[in-house]
Amino acid sequence: MGASRYISSGLIEAYVSRLATPQEAQELEIAINQYPEVATAVEDCRLGMEHYIMLQSVTPPTVVKQNLIRIIADEEAGKLTGEEAEETQIIEDTPGRKLYVSSSWRWAAVAAILLLLGSLLLNYIYSARYSDYQVRYDALLTSNNTLASEQNVYRTRMEQLEHSLDIVKDPSMQTVKMPGTKSFPSSLATVYWNKASKEVFLMANNLPQPAAGKQYQLWAIVAGKPMDMGVFDISTDTAAILQKMKSVDNADMFAITLENKGGSPAPTMDQMYVAGKPS
Amino acid sequence: MESAFTYTESELVQGLKAKDQKVFGYLYDRYSPALYGVAMKVLNEESNAGDVLQEVFLKIWRNIDRYDESKGRLFTWMLNITRNTAIDTLRSKAHKMDQKIQVIGDDVHLYTTNLTVHPSVDHLGLSKVLEKLTKEQRVIIDLAYYKGCTQEEISKVLEIPLGTVKTRMRNAIIQLRNLLKI
Repeated sequence: MGASRYISSGLIEAYVSRLATPQEAQELEIAINQYPEVATAVEDCRLGMEHYIMLQSVTPPTVVKQNLIRIIADEEAGKLTGEEAEETQIIEDTPGRKLYVSSSWRWAAVAAILLLLGSLLLNYIYSARYSDYQVRYDALLTSNNTLASEQNVYRTRMEQLEHSLDIVKDPSMQTVKMPGTKSFPSSLATVYWNKASKEVFLMANNLPQPAAGKQYQLWAIVAGKPMDMGVFDISTDTAAILQKMKSVDNADMFAITLENKGGSPAPTMDQMYVAGKPS
Repeated sequence: MESAFTYTESELVQGLKAKDQKVFGYLYDRYSPALYGVAMKVLNEESNAGDVLQEVFLKIWRNIDRYDESKGRLFTWMLNITRNTAIDTLRSKAHKMDQKIQVIGDDVHLYTTNLTVHPSVDHLGLSKVLEKLTKEQRVIIDLAYYKGCTQEEISKVLEIPLGTVKTRMRNAIIQLRNLLKI
């Protein structure tokens, strides 16, 4: 860049107002040494800036001068007796662009860095612990959910049992025990027959699980003829629970046969598992 | 406090280098208002500005051997020491960017009211100059010189593109020099 280019670039104004970056200042200082007209332009501009600064002069408090006079007089007296005056460092570079940090800030920075390192370490430790706890928490959550759903199952079952119990407790309920027939001696089922409401409930105490496509059917023998009382399934869950069957006014006997799924119009006599008479 | 006689700048430098306390007294009387004005403009606070002024004159006294006449005038050297010491004080007090701006904002109204102007300075001259400079021009000079703001900071504060900061400074200084006829 030629001398005139420096003069019109705005760099000189930026330099004397201390706006220029360190690189820009360095560049201009080289140009000042190189071109006398740049040096003159800088000096003229600087005089303008200094005039502006001087216009803003303020009379300082008199105590400053008194202190200074005393301090330098003491220093000079000290020098005469051989003591060295403390050398003060001048920071002539632009302060903002030079990293000048007071010692208290240095200590603060050291403390901050130590805190940061400590915090990072703790972060590491706690994050490891955290993921451990996360896994354990998930496991607990799962087992808690399992317990809750199991509890629901038990509650439902208990409600069903309570309901069954209520049915059985009814004073007008008659129990008809149906032991196994000769072909199926270990089988056992019970009919609960409410003489008042005519409702019939069945409890399959011990009946083998039917083959696929087969279903048990309850019969009531009324006046020597079998009467369909409905089909039922054996489910492990409801095995001990009463199942409601069709109602009947009067019956001489109750029996259960194994029939094709959906039931038959007439019982298959050789598939009779249990039978019993009301007492 | 004014000394009865005057020194040339090179006589002043020689006297200071010879540790002449009388020359120091003269130097103080002649330059302390200008330097104190800088400290006040930077710090906006009398107690700190007084401390800075004392530190500045001790630096001048103790480090006069480092002053090189071939590199610039004594006043420029002293101004640099003052500005840098004051800005260091400002920064060491953990003044943040926004506080700096706050300070310069309030400052605009202080030019002609708050400060006791040194009798040797033409007070009317100052208000006349400040009147003719736009607020924008004053602020950009003061942010750079008195608050030590970078071009980036000024661009952010004045909400102008980075590229126009230097142009605006150039115009401000040209206007200032026209007003001062320098």
